[in-house]
Amino acid sequence: MILDLHNHSIKSDDGRAKVENYCQWIRKRELPIDGFALTEHRLFDDEADYRKLEDEFGVAILKGSEVETDYGHVLVFGVNEDLLAAFDFSRVDLPLSLVLESAQRCGAVAVPCHPGRTRVGLCAHIEEHGPVDGVKIIETLNGGSREREDQQAMELAQCYDYGGIGGSDAHIVSHVGRCATRFANEIRNEQDLVGALRSGDFEAVSWK
Amino acid sequence: MEVDVKALKRDWAGIEFDVVEVEGKTQDFLDFAEACGETESRFVDPEDADFQAPSTFTSRFVGRRMFPDRFPKIGDGFGFDAGKCVFAHAPFRPGDVLTASSKIHDIYEKTGRSGPMVFIVHRMEFVNQTGVLVSVVDWRMVQQPERKR
Repeated sequence: MILDLHNHSIKSDDGRAKVENYCQWIRKRELPIDGFALTEHRLFDDEADYRKLEDEFGVAILKGSEVETDYGHVLVFGVNEDLLAAFDFSRVDLPLSLVLESAQRCGAVAVPCHPGRTRVGLCAHIEEHGPVDGVKIIETLNGGSREREDQQAMELAQCYDYGGIGGSDAHIVSHVGRCATRFANEIRNEQDLVGALRSGDFEAVSWK
Repeated sequence: MEVDVKALKRDWAGIEFDVVEVEGKTQDFLDFAEACGETESRFVDPEDADFQAPSTFTSRFVGRRMFPDRFPKIGDGFGFDAGKCVFAHAPFRPGDVLTASSKIHDIYEKTGRSGPMVFIVHRMEFVNQTGVLVSVVDWRMVQQPERKR
């Protein structure tokens, strides 16, 4: 099963894509992905229910978030009430250690994204402050990253033996499906996704 | 430069600081429609019974001031335009006079490749002479606290 794990809808302040339009694009272009995750900036969209769209278009639509930490941006999957109470998603200076520890404790997974990106990626911060305990997975393929940035992310993953996921970081409809993550098993919901990520049985893929 | 965005929002969001009036003119509607490449009759034909301004027409207006008096300056740079969002609620017809009031709708921060950014959402609400809300325009401006000129 292939899921694009990093996308933004109009619920993000800089997102320009409606979720339904992502679904239409995936079907129209016959993209080789089975679903996608919505990772809105600095918030978790607790209210939206995309089950009708899932049924209509035959794609899995999962919900996560992209939060901002002192080590750059981080995707969070498996967001639940406990995690929402653990830290303020809207902050731009969350301690990465808090996000990692909270995710682990609350049954979620935290994944630093676009690590090679200047200022908001893990690589630059590791160079400056050293590695962080608790990172197990990073986003090695990001649809919005420049070539050198993905390369840096892959080198970082190799160096620290991190798992690597892929996501498009789409903010507009036509950018969905540029990068994704291939899983061995079917993923029907966020809990399945957390389990699959924790199992380590996945790989990042790209069509950039 | 440290910016307490939550305090900024608490102190300034929601305060109306400017009001202007604008009048709907047929030729202005037609010029705007042509510039946008509109083809719908209600936007390009003054004889159409439903003739009105294109939906994003109100985005062309600005108030007399961008910020309230004494609004704090963030960083040394000028900032930059981060785009406009128009919510069209009711038709704007020729001869209508809209009252446009400005306020700071939201202030939030984020981090990006170019460093920390503070987004200030300037909202203009346009109400016609009968009290009907015609349009709401949100204009995002970015200020960079660490940016030096």
